[in-house]
Amino acid sequence: MPDSRLARPRLFLLVLGVGTLLLVGQALWFYQMGHYQRIALPALLSLVMAVATLIAAAEPATSRVSAYLTLICGFLLIAVELPDRAGAPTLWIGLPPVLALVLLPLGPAVLLNLALTPVWLALLGEGAPEPGLAAGYLTLVAVATLALWDRLRQRALLRATDPWETECPALTRASLHERLHGEFERARLLERPLAVLLIDLPQLDMAREQFGDAARRAMLDAACREIIQQCRDLDALGREDDAAFWLLLPDTTESGALLLRQRLAQALAQRVLVETGPLEVRLRLAAPRPGEPWPAFVARLQATTQTLATD
Amino acid sequence: MQSMYKVGLMRANLLVAAGLTGYLASTAATLQDALLLGLAALWLAVTATQVEFSHRHPATIPWQLLPGLLLAALLWVTPARHLTWFWAWAVLLMLPQPRWMLGLTAVLAAASWWQLLELLGPEQWALAGLLLAGLMLLGLSRSLALQAMRRRIRHRARLIPGLPLWPGQQLPQDVQRERQRACLERVHVELLLLRTSRWRLWSLAERLCALTRAFEHCYRLDRRTLGVLLISPDAQGAAARRQALLDALGDRARARVVALPRLGSVSRERRALARQAQPLEIKEVADHAG
Repeated sequence: MPDSRLARPRLFLLVLGVGTLLLVGQALWFYQMGHYQRIALPALLSLVMAVATLIAAAEPATSRVSAYLTLICGFLLIAVELPDRAGAPTLWIGLPPVLALVLLPLGPAVLLNLALTPVWLALLGEGAPEPGLAAGYLTLVAVATLALWDRLRQRALLRATDPWETECPALTRASLHERLHGEFERARLLERPLAVLLIDLPQLDMAREQFGDAARRAMLDAACREIIQQCRDLDALGREDDAAFWLLLPDTTESGALLLRQRLAQALAQRVLVETGPLEVRLRLAAPRPGEPWPAFVARLQATTQTLATD
Repeated sequence: MQSMYKVGLMRANLLVAAGLTGYLASTAATLQDALLLGLAALWLAVTATQVEFSHRHPATIPWQLLPGLLLAALLWVTPARHLTWFWAWAVLLMLPQPRWMLGLTAVLAAASWWQLLELLGPEQWALAGLLLAGLMLLGLSRSLALQAMRRRIRHRARLIPGLPLWPGQQLPQDVQRERQRACLERVHVELLLLRTSRWRLWSLAERLCALTRAFEHCYRLDRRTLGVLLISPDAQGAAARRQALLDALGDRARARVVALPRLGSVSRERRALARQAQPLEIKEVADHAG
């Protein structure tokens, strides 16, 4: 579940950079002390860490890769260096699972921690794993995993409560339908006209295939901003589908909506994007018929949206 | 986007954690140790019964503080047995929490590290401190990303998934829009403010959302005050509808009604409601038509 909105901040980069420097320092220390056979590991790992830092710095969205590289370095260091140190296995057994939990998303972290249980017990338990050590390890894994669960819960809640799309300034599908339902009822109650303008952006797929995702996002954003600029404060733009938008026009008669459609078509045609050229849109008007029930109206809008996209 | 979040799985994880902690408590050597671990198991089990997908706000402050305090106490009372838990400080920082609590966690972590000096010897002690600091910073960096996302949408997101209950910061903007629409449509719009006790606020909000129409939004102005914009074709209709709404809600809340043309500032009306003695006060539009 990669999520570019949750890219790791600079702090992550800082920790990686400091880790790299520490490994370089350790390699130099071994060189000074003449432990030549021990230099290879920190020297190699400092290179890997440097790569991880550079990846995280270059493209924050792919920091997942550098997190995995850091984890591999950490595990190798723990496996090779720590068994040498005498004493306190209860302390060091807790380090690898927490490192995995801090770096990885929930699923991989849990799998890795459970799968590596015997490995860590054998390596860090000084040969004879006692049941107390295993129980402590498993309890730590079970309890610490809860933090990641809570983060997922918080994120899911934020997504479920945010009425706006992440890619463009438009309402999400659920919010759009809720808003439309409200406007539909309001129009019925107050006997006011309601119009809905169905908008389709046929170039979106092409933009992604030929120019990449950034071009597609730029197109989405430009179209939404242009549309919002042309309409009133009480009109609402929502995203019904990947390339389909509904513009809700409360208190708008058919002639008013036709005028707006014309104005929008002109404005969007004049909008020229750097990579993809002029914006192309397909527009169609719809309004509730007298006596038409709510489910029938939505079904009609959705059917019209489909035909608009396949035209 | 499919979310990996499943309430059932999280609850299962909570129960497994509670079971394992309970097992550790049963094998504890001292009474204090057993009590602390038992308390931790209890906390996990109670959280398992409470966790559900509804409330946007995290649990209350004491409930969030408890894990940190328990961890510090465990490391203080029986450090030799619970050394494994030392690393859990880094995980604790990953939870969404207020800033001052992050600071408190860092202080507690430093204190528990400090007193491990005798037990570990200087070399291991220094190494453990360095590694924990690195892990805590990694945990913090993840927490910051989530906090940023949370800050960005805090003022515009609904408060409970699926309910038209919005934060109070949204209200002035919506009042402005309804003013324009009221001129256009010639309808009667009024702001109904309800003040109740802290405990009843969320249940009252749910009932209010259920009773209002799909185009009437509800707002949470503070811990005790709710607001709703009521829209009716005319003033008589509005009075009848408001009365029916208040009857349906019962008399557990004080109410204040302000017709939109007479509404100055929302916060002034909110303060007036807090001081108001009568159960209901109405500020109607002056009737010029006579």
